[in-house]
Amino acid sequence: MRKFLLFLTIVLLSPAVVMAQQHKQKTKKADAETVEWKYELAPVAVGAQGNVIVKVWSYSANPNVAAEQAKKNAVHGVIFKGVPSAANIPGKKPLVTNPETESSHADYFNDFFAQGGDYMRFVTLSGSGEQDVSKVDRRRYKVGVVVVVSYDNLRKELERAGVVKGLNSGF
Amino acid sequence: MKKILLLFVAALVSTVCFGQAKKPTIMVVPSDAWCSKNGYMTVYESQGVRQSIPDYKKALQENPDLLLVISKMGEIMADRGFPLKDLGAVLRSIENNAAEESVTMSKETGDVIAESPLDKLKKSARADIIMQLTWTVNKTGPKNSITFNIQGLDAYTDKQIAAASGTGEPSFSAEVPLLLEESVIAHMDNFAGQLQSHFDDLFENGREITLSCRRWSGSDVDFETEFDGEELGFLIEDWLAANTVQGRFSTVDATENMMLFEQVRIPMVAPNGRAVDARYWANGLRRELESKYGIDAKLTVRGLGEAIITIGGK
Repeated sequence: MRKFLLFLTIVLLSPAVVMAQQHKQKTKKADAETVEWKYELAPVAVGAQGNVIVKVWSYSANPNVAAEQAKKNAVHGVIFKGVPSAANIPGKKPLVTNPETESSHADYFNDFFAQGGDYMRFVTLSGSGEQDVSKVDRRRYKVGVVVVVSYDNLRKELERAGVVKGLNSGF
Repeated sequence: MKKILLLFVAALVSTVCFGQAKKPTIMVVPSDAWCSKNGYMTVYESQGVRQSIPDYKKALQENPDLLLVISKMGEIMADRGFPLKDLGAVLRSIENNAAEESVTMSKETGDVIAESPLDKLKKSARADIIMQLTWTVNKTGPKNSITFNIQGLDAYTDKQIAAASGTGEPSFSAEVPLLLEESVIAHMDNFAGQLQSHFDDLFENGREITLSCRRWSGSDVDFETEFDGEELGFLIEDWLAANTVQGRFSTVDATENMMLFEQVRIPMVAPNGRAVDARYWANGLRRELESKYGIDAKLTVRGLGEAIITIGGK
């Protein structure tokens, strides 16, 4: 009887363990892909004071994972690439203008963009987080998600960390 | 030991007190074009010529949209650690000071406060950087949109150091104040970014000022008078080359009666840690003229960025 119960438990739990493992692997793979920072940004609206509303397209084999990575990509984009302008929405210059800053503050940014890192404090999905999914090739999806980046707070965090200078620094 | 400690504390205090550059003042002012379009100009006659100047007081009293835009811009700049000089408060303060000074007199002699025509002229709403503001409301059928333009002008070099402009999304329902607020929010980050680049340039290459040298008509010395075989004008240029950041300045004009130097790059902080402005820096030249060549000179300034030295007396 005991052996049967043990067998039953293993049979019941194994799919959950396998699925968790698979998800972990996918996230890990997506993390690796995210580090390459392959994404596109476009402004959606002006937004409330201190915020930027952008649509970010990320690439992944799993649409759900891509949507999660989109938040990280959006924060990265606002910091290093800036937001391009659209018809009636002015773009935003990157918060970090010196191209060497990313490597000179590599430790800070590694921790900042780590899974569950501080970047999460500055980004939220807009509305219900609807996804715009299209298949790029046999293995990859392109997933567009609208997110709100807390631009002013992000700038203040970078100023606090000494990554960028404040407007009044030196005076 | 006590002396060393005292010296250390003195050095520390001087570093904390000084060691920082002078912060430029910034003020938002509606542009002449906006004032003219909205009927906020005053026309007066000066020596037979009709001239119109913007009436800021009237604009602030009658146009709530202007107040909204100025306060929104002030809010954003204050959040960045750069509170703005308020145009309305500056105008009120000028009026109050004028009223107070007109009735102030010495208790013993009955003398009134000394004021030269130049002092009177200087009592105007001034700032080191002017944020010049223009907007127009565009109407296309039932839709409204705002074309918004902010220019950051260096008051002393007259250079545009930052700007942001654009036309917002047309809207059926949003009212003009809401569209204006959206325009300010949309453009201020880029404007502040350009201002940051300007400040970075100041710290790297020095503050840009203008130096003007003149001569009193009764002076025996002019800029062609020779000292040790060299003309005074060239001696002044030598001093400038030695006391500017990387020797950067350009001589725009030079005659026996005047010299004009533009794009003079002066350090932001002196070697002793003191913040440098045009007055502090040009005083070095005034002292050099006095000690080395025995020339008395008068030093006057216009804000942080323009110095005028008049040789041949005070």
